[in-house]
Amino acid sequence: MNAVLSWFQEQSADLKTAFYMNFIKDDRWIYLWSGLKITLQIAFFAVLIGILLGFLVAVIRSTHDKVGNLRFLNFICKMYLTIIRGTPMVVQLLIIYFVILSSCTDKVFVAVIAFGINSGAYVAEIIRSGIMSVDKGQMEAGRSLGLSYLQTMIYIILPQAFKNVLPALGNEFIVLIKETSVSGYIALQDLTKAGDIIRSQTYDAFLPLIAVA
Amino acid sequence: MNKHFSSASSPEENGGIIFKAEHIIKEFPNLRALDDVSTEIKRGEVVFIVGPSGSGKSTFLRCLNLLEKPTDGKIFFEGKQINCRGIKINAFRQKVGMVFQHFNLFPHLTILNNIILAPLKTHRMKRAEAVSKAEELLKRIGLYEKRNAYPQQLSGGQKQRIAIVRALLMNPDVILFDEPTSALDPEMVGEVLALMKELALGGMTMIVVTHEIGFAREVADRILFMDHGRIVEEGSPEDFFSHPKDPRLKDFLSKVI
Repeated sequence: MNAVLSWFQEQSADLKTAFYMNFIKDDRWIYLWSGLKITLQIAFFAVLIGILLGFLVAVIRSTHDKVGNLRFLNFICKMYLTIIRGTPMVVQLLIIYFVILSSCTDKVFVAVIAFGINSGAYVAEIIRSGIMSVDKGQMEAGRSLGLSYLQTMIYIILPQAFKNVLPALGNEFIVLIKETSVSGYIALQDLTKAGDIIRSQTYDAFLPLIAVA
Repeated sequence: MNKHFSSASSPEENGGIIFKAEHIIKEFPNLRALDDVSTEIKRGEVVFIVGPSGSGKSTFLRCLNLLEKPTDGKIFFEGKQINCRGIKINAFRQKVGMVFQHFNLFPHLTILNNIILAPLKTHRMKRAEAVSKAEELLKRIGLYEKRNAYPQQLSGGQKQRIAIVRALLMNPDVILFDEPTSALDPEMVGEVLALMKELALGGMTMIVVTHEIGFAREVADRILFMDHGRIVEEGSPEDFFSHPKDPRLKDFLSKVI
């Protein structure tokens, strides 16, 4: 009994020291704090771009499927979806940072663009599934009242589609927030990178990584 | 009769003919749904289209407001051809109401918003005007209390009457009914038919696809019988039921009456 108790005391004392070393000493928690801020910043703006792009692509794609026009735009959208969903996020991020926006020095901006474009592709397909889930009688009813295709889409189809895809959309955004952890690749100090820095200073991996998670 | 319940009166041109269909052909893959259909609908006329399932009556109705595009043939609305390029299809459809078998109310909007959405977005009315007219119509059909309810809180008969009011508020020249009572429980059919009859008596131009043969007999000015994508016989209800000529119509009537 006593042995177990002293083992626990020992462990908790160790943990206390480790906690002190990893987070308190030299104000190391500031790394985590500023990393968290950057991660949230990237995620938030990427989500906005993702929704915007997603809506646009989804509407173009489903308009093409239903009406048959917009062939050129639809082709572009299809390419976009295939390329973005078919290549790893890290590679996309590196390409955008080193090739496309190589003159841009604001890393957060680059990351927002990269994650936004990436997320847009997934959101587009989610929203398209929502649009397809709305009964086609709704479109007919809107059109028969003299509303244009776009008006029917905006006032009748999209609100219903949006409601249907909210759970899937929530999923996508959780994934997006976690995915921002690869932004360390362009030397951006997000939450994961902050954990790395602490680990490199204290040679302790467990606590910083748990805190990051 | 209330003024909203009658057709908008515009200068009578081309002999008061609202719709004219010339040799309409509609082909689906593996199916010729309409095979050379021609007819005219006059202003104020109440025309019923009956026939067995798959005879093309709904397809014909949907062709009239271009929900289906005819493969061949011409459709004229108030003297102008509508199934050609460069036509303002939305402006045309604002004058042609449509009531569907499955109501197709907008489930995310309240009853009042369902009704006033189209007049507002097409700039036919200001909000205050649309609301007051919608409320007036809702009072007439006894559903004023439901104005802030959502469609799923209503019975089938109530939904269909709202759908009719929604079409009416656009002040259309003609209303198309696509089997308006087929999806209703039997005890709800009566209230919808009563409203339709009221419209017919008020002088509204109506084209009705239905299986309610008795109702057609009572209300119709003219009945068209369709089979295999063609209009086989047409006439006044009296001729239609008392002296059917075509054997297919005789056969059909013997089954449904």
